[in-house]
Amino acid sequence: MDTGGSSEGPVEPKKGKSKTPRKAKESVLKQKSPAEFFAENKNIAGFDNPGKSLYTTVRELVENALDSAESISELPIVEVTIEEIGKSKFNSMIGLIDRERIDEELYDDFETAKAREKRLAKEARDQEILGKSVALGKKVKEPSAQKSMKGRGEASFFRVTCKDNGRGMPHDDIPNMFGRVLSGTKYGLKQTRGKFGLGAKMALIWSKMSTGLPIEISSSMRGQSYTSFCRLDIDIHRNVPHIHLHEKKENKEGWHGAEIQVVIEGNWSTYRSKILHYMRQMAVITPYAQFLFKFVTDAADKNVTIRFARRTDVMPPVPSETKHHPSAVDLLLIKRLIAETSKQNLLQFLQHEFVNIGKIYAERLIGEMGPDFSPKMAVKSLTSQQIVRIHQLFRQAKFDDPSGDCLSPAGEYNLRLGIIKELHPDMVATCSGSPQVFEGHPFIVEAGVSLGGKDVKQGLNIFRFANRIPLLFEQGADVVTRTAMKRINWNSYKINQTQDKIGVYVSIVSTKIPFKGTGKEYIGDDISEIASAVKTSIRQCCVQLKSKIVKKIQAREQQERKRNLSKYIPNATGAIYDVLKEMAELHSSKRKRYEEEDVEILKKVSARVITANTLQEKLAQHVEQVDYEMAVDYATQSGVSEEPREDSYIQALEGANQFVDFHSPIFVFRLFQ
Amino acid sequence: MADKKKRRRADPDSEDEDSVGHGAQPFKKRLKSDNVILSGLRKLTESLQSNNTDQKTLTLSDLDLSFNCREVADLNLSSVQDAVERLIIRVTQSILSGSGFSFDVPARGNANQLYIPELDRIVLKDKTSIRPYANVSTVRKTTITARILQLVHQLCLKNIHVTKRDLFYTDVKLFQDQSQSDTVLDDVSCMLGCTRSSLNVVAAEKGIVVGRIIFSDNGDMIDCTKMGMGGKAIPPNIDRVGDMQSDALFILLVEKDAAYMRLAEDRFYNRFPCIIITAKGQPDVATRLFLKKMKTELKLPVLALVDSDPYGLKILSVYGCGSKNMSYDSANLTTPDIKWLGIRPSDLDKYKIPEQCRLPMTEQDIKTGKDLLEEDFVKKNPGWVEELSLMVKTKQKAEIQALSSFGFQYLSEVYLPLKLQQEDWL
Repeated sequence: MDTGGSSEGPVEPKKGKSKTPRKAKESVLKQKSPAEFFAENKNIAGFDNPGKSLYTTVRELVENALDSAESISELPIVEVTIEEIGKSKFNSMIGLIDRERIDEELYDDFETAKAREKRLAKEARDQEILGKSVALGKKVKEPSAQKSMKGRGEASFFRVTCKDNGRGMPHDDIPNMFGRVLSGTKYGLKQTRGKFGLGAKMALIWSKMSTGLPIEISSSMRGQSYTSFCRLDIDIHRNVPHIHLHEKKENKEGWHGAEIQVVIEGNWSTYRSKILHYMRQMAVITPYAQFLFKFVTDAADKNVTIRFARRTDVMPPVPSETKHHPSAVDLLLIKRLIAETSKQNLLQFLQHEFVNIGKIYAERLIGEMGPDFSPKMAVKSLTSQQIVRIHQLFRQAKFDDPSGDCLSPAGEYNLRLGIIKELHPDMVATCSGSPQVFEGHPFIVEAGVSLGGKDVKQGLNIFRFANRIPLLFEQGADVVTRTAMKRINWNSYKINQTQDKIGVYVSIVSTKIPFKGTGKEYIGDDISEIASAVKTSIRQCCVQLKSKIVKKIQAREQQERKRNLSKYIPNATGAIYDVLKEMAELHSSKRKRYEEEDVEILKKVSARVITANTLQEKLAQHVEQVDYEMAVDYATQSGVSEEPREDSYIQALEGANQFVDFHSPIFVFRLFQ
Repeated sequence: MADKKKRRRADPDSEDEDSVGHGAQPFKKRLKSDNVILSGLRKLTESLQSNNTDQKTLTLSDLDLSFNCREVADLNLSSVQDAVERLIIRVTQSILSGSGFSFDVPARGNANQLYIPELDRIVLKDKTSIRPYANVSTVRKTTITARILQLVHQLCLKNIHVTKRDLFYTDVKLFQDQSQSDTVLDDVSCMLGCTRSSLNVVAAEKGIVVGRIIFSDNGDMIDCTKMGMGGKAIPPNIDRVGDMQSDALFILLVEKDAAYMRLAEDRFYNRFPCIIITAKGQPDVATRLFLKKMKTELKLPVLALVDSDPYGLKILSVYGCGSKNMSYDSANLTTPDIKWLGIRPSDLDKYKIPEQCRLPMTEQDIKTGKDLLEEDFVKKNPGWVEELSLMVKTKQKAEIQALSSFGFQYLSEVYLPLKLQQEDWL
């Protein structure tokens, strides 16, 4: 078992290490370090293949950066750079000399003589055809560039750099924060962005697996006079950091934050759109952050630079850590809480380590547990059986629902701004639901629905967010997709599901998002609490939109009414006049008798006093009059006619003005003093 | 299979039945000779004919209703022409006076329909809606109405018949799609107070008839026993049909083409003198008119063979009580007293139709079934309510073709004769 060694590839400089475990041939009880486990099961953390690994690396770094900046209430500024590294450059980086191929036949992409003959013959044929069509004066496509033959060995490498203005890290903690898997700061019970607490560590493992290059970290904390610089990699077998360099440098600019640089194998061409989508959706849900995304490569035409500007400086509050809800704990968790608690007796333990258990309620619970429990008994002395009893009671007893106070939703205001900023829709409606509960964990659903906009395709465009990070994969089975596709009757809100450009944004925050699947990429459709909350929120948005849409339709009808009414005048009068003419003929040839009154009209028709034109003019006059009346009606109803509106944004004021903020979920009122 | 045999043994009636395995035609032994069956039928027909002589069919005017109903009548061409001309003159005057124009069109929506149990059919109440030209929502319909009136006027002048499709093609650009011109055509006939056939507009022929009937179509005598397998297409202009003669004992109304084919090919009408008619699904106006005419002129009982699903019963109800779309003309289109012969939900077990031939009802089916149970024309017949409740309860449906599991000719050779022998209709 030398997974670490073999997967490091031939470029791994330190081969000596992997030799030791190879001796063990007989089956021995072995232990696996967490780092080894994740190295072997990297797909769990989203490192399925080089392309996805590049994507996951970017998102882990970005999410860490946001968390870091938010934790010190600093408006985040995040710069992400992906730099493509060619093979020779990569080789020189690791100190390997480019070698010419000597034994050509050794390689997978070696062209045998037969294949070569075939290819040449085909090329000659193509040339011939090309020549003919040129001779005939036909337009021909540029012959597509010869596909570069890519063997398995031809991997592409990228240097991913992410710089933020966050908290930074204490100098001495840096090695452990990166070089030890499953050691993190995010393990309490609260709403967090990260998935497993792996973050940059998994990127490091991947870089070690694919390139063998170490990770480089620069960090500085607020008010620190120096910058820490650290270059390290990870000893996968022992799950400890392996430090190359760890030093302090001068910090001239007073910068604080972290800059992390890692070189990994990746695939830009297949995951380009996913990464860009991710950045865009992140910008939607985090409008208070500023992102700069850069892709740098040797081919200048493929370079990408996108700046996602900040649109607001209102940040959601930092999610607070909360205690467990009694209905959401399991046996193991109770045991852990008992081991960790500072409380002495059972009563205090129940009262302080859980939410929604007051003193009186705790006493009642203890009374219910049985005669061998008492409020004053030492909590650490509980036997396993007694803990099971507590667990049973927790499951059966009734508790108040946990409150949503510990959650930090994006906020309707921010969601709305984010949507407007990134998609420029014609219309948008947002809605924020009240906190609800699923299995003892509170959750809040916020939704937005937009119509129109740039870069939006026709039909439903679904944007999913869980704990304020975008979910991009496995969309089909997700509760939001299912709800929007199947359970919303768009027609009833005057929205055309296939023709209109509909954007549906749903953000769910919770202390525990009930993800489905190993990749944690979607939320299952089987949780009725969440499904109905999602449905209600989307509907709310639709209801808001409907009135706007109806108004718009009315306004359009207003404009088009006269044209629509006039359009049919020739048809209608033509038909009527035809009958009149026939009648007039019948009358004049005396084949049919008509009444006095009618005869008058028919005579006029015969005498061409009444013609099709007369009818047309009269009807047109009538239409004109009706149109005018209705326009007046509409104007009195809808008030002063609407001026064409223009979007305008007020610049944030610079400098240290004194002000007071009045917050509401939908807007902020700022009073300057 | 074993389970089935057990059940058969438990059944006391099944002693005279040979217990052969799969593929045989069960119940065949129970059939009596054709003469016995025929005598039963003859009694039914005679009682109907003697009864009907002294009983006049009720009309709307016989009832003392608290509200007015709208009914149309067959009008001759010149009256239709007069009606159109009067309307056009009124419209012209209105335009010339500078107040635009509008049509007063009877509402044909659901809210304006009413089932009258005494008449056993749906009628249209007299609510109307104004269709003004100078309104964005009605301008198209008003224009189409004017155009249709003009086309009808032309038909009157020239005294010819056209199909609905012809009518549509005279101005495709305006009508856009045939359903629009069709709807307005119904509006127009309602507005003028005449049947749609009086407007000289007919639908393409859809229904077919075969069996013991002779009638004249536009002057030609047609003998429906000599029409081969395909039968005679039911002529769209019922006014040119006449001189009906028949020695049949009953009329067999078949929902589907496939069952009709089987009966026609087996010459079922020769074994049991009858007239077989089908409209291949939802009945068109011509078939309904034809059935009505046969029923009133020949005074024969009508037995219906439809699928055992909610749509089968719905089709039955259209023949019997009329459709909501054509309720203004229900007096001419409905044939009262149609007997539901089969396939009824209770037949599935009675005739041991195997499980694999039954289909589970979909959500939609069950909903339709439950809705039907609320309809008055179902409620008035307790037998139907019982059968439909059974269907909704078992959530199973079966098509007429399910009988083919006992052999293709089981329908004509065993099922129908047995049903007739037992006089098993509702």
